[in-house]
This record gives sequence, C-alpha cells and structure tokens, in this order.
Amino acid sequence: MEAANDMIYLDWAASAPPEPAALDEARDVSLRYFANPSSPHAAGRRAEQKLLEARTRFAGALGVDAREILFTSGGTESNTSLLLSLLDRHRLGGVERQKTRIVTTEIEHASVYEQARILQAHGISCEFVRPGASGTVDPEAVAAAVDGHTVLVSVMLVNNETGAVQDLAAVVRAVREASRGGRRVLVHTDAVQALGKLPFSLRDLGVDAASFSGHKIGAPRGVGALYLRSGVSPGFLSVGGGQESGRRPGTENLPGICAMAAAAVLRRDHMAENLVAARAHARLLIEGLRKIPGAWTIPVTRDPDDERGWSPYIVSAAFPPLPAEVVVRTAEEKGYCISAGSACSSRKKDRTRVPESMGLPAETARCAVRISIGPSTTREQVQGFLSAMAEALPPLLSISRGRGA
Amino acid sequence: MSEILFLVKYGEIALKKRNRGAFLKRLKDSIHERLPGLRFEVTDTFQRVFVRCGEQDRQAIEGALSRTFGIVSFCETLRVPAEISAVEEAAESLARSYISAGRGMKFKAEVRRAEKSFPLTSYEIACRVGDLLLAKFPGLKVDVHEPDWVITIEMREWAYLYGPSTRGPYGLPGGSSGRGLLLLSGGIDSPVAGWMMGKRGMALDAVYFHSAPFTSEQAREKVVDLVRTLRGWIPGIRLHVVHFTPVLARIKERSKDEEVTLLLRACMMRFAARMAERTGALCLITGESLGQVASQTVESMAFTGSFADQPVFRPLVGMNKEEIIAIAERIDTFEISNRPFADCCTLFAPEHPLVHPDLVKMKRAYERLEIDRLLETALEETLSASAPARDAPARP
Repeated sequence: MEAANDMIYLDWAASAPPEPAALDEARDVSLRYFANPSSPHAAGRRAEQKLLEARTRFAGALGVDAREILFTSGGTESNTSLLLSLLDRHRLGGVERQKTRIVTTEIEHASVYEQARILQAHGISCEFVRPGASGTVDPEAVAAAVDGHTVLVSVMLVNNETGAVQDLAAVVRAVREASRGGRRVLVHTDAVQALGKLPFSLRDLGVDAASFSGHKIGAPRGVGALYLRSGVSPGFLSVGGGQESGRRPGTENLPGICAMAAAAVLRRDHMAENLVAARAHARLLIEGLRKIPGAWTIPVTRDPDDERGWSPYIVSAAFPPLPAEVVVRTAEEKGYCISAGSACSSRKKDRTRVPESMGLPAETARCAVRISIGPSTTREQVQGFLSAMAEALPPLLSISRGRGA
Repeated sequence: MSEILFLVKYGEIALKKRNRGAFLKRLKDSIHERLPGLRFEVTDTFQRVFVRCGEQDRQAIEGALSRTFGIVSFCETLRVPAEISAVEEAAESLARSYISAGRGMKFKAEVRRAEKSFPLTSYEIACRVGDLLLAKFPGLKVDVHEPDWVITIEMREWAYLYGPSTRGPYGLPGGSSGRGLLLLSGGIDSPVAGWMMGKRGMALDAVYFHSAPFTSEQAREKVVDLVRTLRGWIPGIRLHVVHFTPVLARIKERSKDEEVTLLLRACMMRFAARMAERTGALCLITGESLGQVASQTVESMAFTGSFADQPVFRPLVGMNKEEIIAIAERIDTFEISNRPFADCCTLFAPEHPLVHPDLVKMKRAYERLEIDRLLETALEETLSASAPARDAPARP
C-alpha cells in the first residue's frame, strides 16, 4: 500500500506522525556528531557530551536522574530486556527457577505478555492477573498474587488497546505491603502509551522500572528507553561493548536518542493544552460512536467524564457482528486510518486477548477497533470520521445481520 | 554469442494424425506466446520440435518449456555434422560436462540411426564412442543396465547428441480444446482446477467475486498473483473481478442463514453462466471436491450446477485435499493460496449450513431473491471494467 498522506490519521497509538523538530535534531546530530561516543578522540568526546546532554534532557522530561535512564531500541526491547534478565542465574542468586515467580496482567502489550510466556517455558512461574470489565486490574488482586518467591511485578500504565489507565500507585503500595519483610520485588511498568500524553511521576508511582518508546511521541522508529530507579540493577543478558554502563551494549543511536529527548520535552511542554483538546475529542468520539445504532464502546461503561481512569488518546469500539478488519477497511475507504485492536499481536489468538480478558464474548472481541488520536488531531477530523462511520456502517451492519434463521 | 539447441519431444499430439499439423502449430505458438520479446526459433522435423536460442536465454527457455502443455520432455542438444569424428568430439564434450558435474562414472551410449546411408551401424558407432570415452576418462565404466547417465546419439541428416532430459507437463497445447470460464477464489483448489483444464489444452478466463469491504484488498491481490502464476502455464488467461457485495446484501436480506452459502454459490454460478455466453467460454470450471465442505455435497452441487447452462467441469471432484495440495505445490500456487487473507469472512459462513439441501425448496429460495437484474448489472460493470486490461501482458 502507498504511504497514505491524503488519509486522516487516527492510529497514533500504533505510531505517531514524526515531529519535525525531532527529525531536524536527528538530522543535525547525524551530520555533526557522527563519531562513536565511546571513541577517545575529540570527535568521540563531543558525541559523548551530546549523549549526556540528551540523557539529561530526557530524564528531565520524566523528572528523574539522568543516571536512571538507559537507552534502547524501543519499547519492546525495554520490556524484553528487563523480563528476560530473570533468566540470568546470577540475578536469581542461586535460587532455582521453579522457586521464582513473576506477576503480570492479561492486558499487557505482547512484548511483556509473550516474554512472560517465555519465562514460563523456562520454568519460572507466572501469574496473569485478569482485569475487571472496565479493563483495569484491581491492585489488591495483583498483591494477592505476590508470594515469597515473587521477584518481579509488571503492570502497564495505560493500556494500548482500550486506553484504560491503571491505578499504578495503588498497585505499587499493595505489592510493597504484600512483600513487606520478604524478598525485594521489582515493580516494572510499560509506560509507552503514557509518555508525553498523561502527567505522571515515576517517583510518586514508586515503580522500580519503566519502559518508553520514541516513535509513539514523534521521534523516529528504533529508539526507546528503560528507566531503572537508582539502586536497581537487574543482571542483563546481553553483554558486549560496555555502553550504557555495560547494561545495554551496542553503539548508541545518538540521532534517535536526541530526537526522542527533543520530542519528550516538546510533549511535556504542551501536555496540558494537548490534554484539554484530546479530552474534548475523546468525548466527541465516544458520544458520536454511541449514536451509531449497534455500536459499542469498549468497555460499554466508559465514562467520558472520568479523566483519571482513561487516556483520551485511545478509544476502543465495536460494531458487532462486523469483524474489526471490515470496519478498518470501511474507514480506509472513507479516508481514515484506524486499527483493529492492537497493531502488534503476534499470534492470531492474541488479537482478542485484551477484550476477552475483560469478559467480552469472543464474537464481540474480534470486532474491536481502536481509534487513537494525537496533538495534531482536529475536531473536524473527529467529526468527519464520525459522520463517515455513521453513514457507511449501518448498511453493512444490516447486511451482516441478515434476517436470521 | 553462442547458440544452444533444445530438442523437444511431444506426446499426444503425434497421435492425432489428421490434426497433427494444427496441434503442432499450437504447440509452437504456445512456446512463442510465453516468451514475448525473446529471440528464438522453433522448427519441427521428424516428430521433433527444435528450439534454438542464445545461450543467455537458456534458463528462460527451460522455464517456459517445462510449463508448456503438450511437451513430454526436452533436453539441450548438440547438433554436429553426421561424421564420426564430429560425433566423437561432441560425445567427449558432453561426457566431460557430466563427469565434472559429478553425475557419476557409469555410462551408456545409445545410438539411433534414422539415416541408414551412414557407413557405420548403430552398434559400431556406440562402440567407437564408448572406446573413445573410456580412453579419455580414466575410471569411467560402461554399464548398460544401471548407468548414471546416458548419451543418446541420433544419426539423421545431422547428428544429434544429448543426455538426460527434463520432463514436460504432458497434456495438450494451449488453445487446442476451446475456452472455459474458471470460478477462481483465493483458495488452494480453484487454481489447481484451472491448471488441470489448461493441461488439457483449454484456454481460460477466470472470474473472481470480490465483496469489499467484507473481503480485503489483499484477498483480491492474492487472486491477481494466482492468475499471474497460472499465466506461466496458461499464457492467455484473463481475470475478471466482479463486485458482488450488492448480491451478497440481497441474499442476506432475503434468505435464512443456513441457505446463504448455497444461494451465494448459485448466484456465482448463474453469473458465470451469463458471463461465459458473453466471453465465448463453452464450459464453467470449479475447484469443487466431493464432500469437502457443505456446499460440495452431491445435493449441493446438483443445486448450484442447475444454474449453469453449460457443462460444469469439476476436475478435482474425486481428489483428496493432499492430492490437490501436491499439485498446488508443483505449480507454485500453494504458497499464494496459503496467504492468511480470508477471501470471504466468517460473517457469511452460517454455523449450520445446509448439507443435503432440498432442490425444490432451494429453487424457491433462489426465486425469492429476484436477483437477475442485480446479476446483469454486475455483469455489465465487470465486462466494461475488464475490457481495456484484457490483453495486458504478464508482469515478469
């Protein structure tokens, strides 16, 4: 398919359109700071200086210390490297894998969920906490799954399919309470869909680790970050050149890192005004979709006034019995890019994991589509999308319902 | 630029005594047709077809010959003057190439002498060549029972020498058996069914029923790719894409869920029958295999088949899925068919389709659709859309 520049883009949660300032910075850095930051010569030292400066900027945007930021290739690598670090025997301190346990949720992104399944295959016990019908997990349910063998808890901050915001501070409190006096539990959060969109403080949340991705905020693909609270040092599996304090070897992607820092600062500086606009758009979307006969929002109970419980940047809906791909195709024909559930589901079955875990029947879960917006989405675009759907879907709904048996 | 020569053997055509000339011409045309823009020469003598081309086109020609129906086998041939010294020299160079390619050290020489005026007998030629090769290549042995390779020498007005040959697809050359209309989906079976009729010399049109937005653009591209692959075997095959969503909508609107699949098949058959009248096809071809799915029981086929005015050929009707897949793999359509884009979404597959439909009841259900006008509209749209692209050349 051609790059659809004439299409209205409502798939920001999959990848955000590039932020020109971030691309400018990437280009400038590529041209001027091309040397390897590990090289001892002057050009190398200049690149190292630039890297330090970007690390400080990015950490500043998150309100943490520069030494707590590790740059990676993206959200998936951040999640993967942390989870798979549990396979390192030294990290487990000689404890057998059978006696090691992690706790995560049914609604995690595939890059956490699938890694947990790999750990399971290696004999580590995994507990997947189910969310309630609203798509959020109960902090007490997470804590209840924590036992004396638990070394890691991973709960995402904003769900990438529904936009549900998890009460992470309460999760961390409950986990700390449950593990008091026992082994130190590392609490990780996949914060990819929260970065630059919602206000949060890693310190206040109390997490030990968090994953971020550059391209979700307008930086190029191929750069992300892992926050590791000072004092936390998982034993990473990949070893090599000693970059990133030996925790993430490989020559640093300096242009990408600088672009991500620039985008993070930009998003932070405009967060409040962006949020006001996004909330208005989300309300319009939710109410407009509900006016289409037969349409559901996921969950049906989503409250447009609940600002703490939902990211306004993501709205999930279903038009049963129209399969998600039919709705996506119809939207495309009308000039809008949306997606079917998550853009990253490796296995076919995994496509409906999140809505099904919320108790939706499989027939409805496979109808779930995701509309995700960003700072440059306009009210006209949202209105246009709604009227296109209101026009195109009802005839298709009546075709697919038929007259029955 | 050095030239090479292929010797092509054909089978069934030779048997059709009176039509032989016409069949042979089809075969030659058929080789030409699949290599437009390539310079080569096709001639025929002594029930043999020769293809002469530049060395650089060897692979293209081999690819084409192995996909040309009517060909039994072919091989690269050395043509030298019918003199013993030239024959010996050519045999030596062939033997050298087989030995250095590691094909083994046991060989046999076979001689056929059509030109009886040649001073040596077949046996004498074989001995001369054998002795020479044994002397030239230490370790080489004659084994007439289980040779690793055979050098065949044909003495005619020229001497032709060749080694092992490549199998062709057999069958009849394209265009020698009329034209058929293939109902093509993105699945595994229908391309195989089309290929099988192509093998019997039939020229083909293919019709694909597209139901956007219920079926995806990728599903349509898949069918385009299938036709492109089939074109390697059946160069003239044309694809017509029908927008069938209005028909689907009417069926869903007016019939019971369990009848939907069968009525849809009936409408496709009716449409194809009308289209065949317009495109000059004399039969319809489907990939149905008895009992494979609910719409392929004998009752269902009796019902859907009743909407065609032409004979409906179902070359896979008695085949098992494994047998069909084996052919699909051989003709390179399997991987395309296996791409994960469903050509008709589950939405329209009823949970409990009719398996043994009542013919009279179903005919009445079809009447209730009052669908003739919709089918005619779809036909006109399809024919006008495919007219300009009709003879678009195959993309490489």
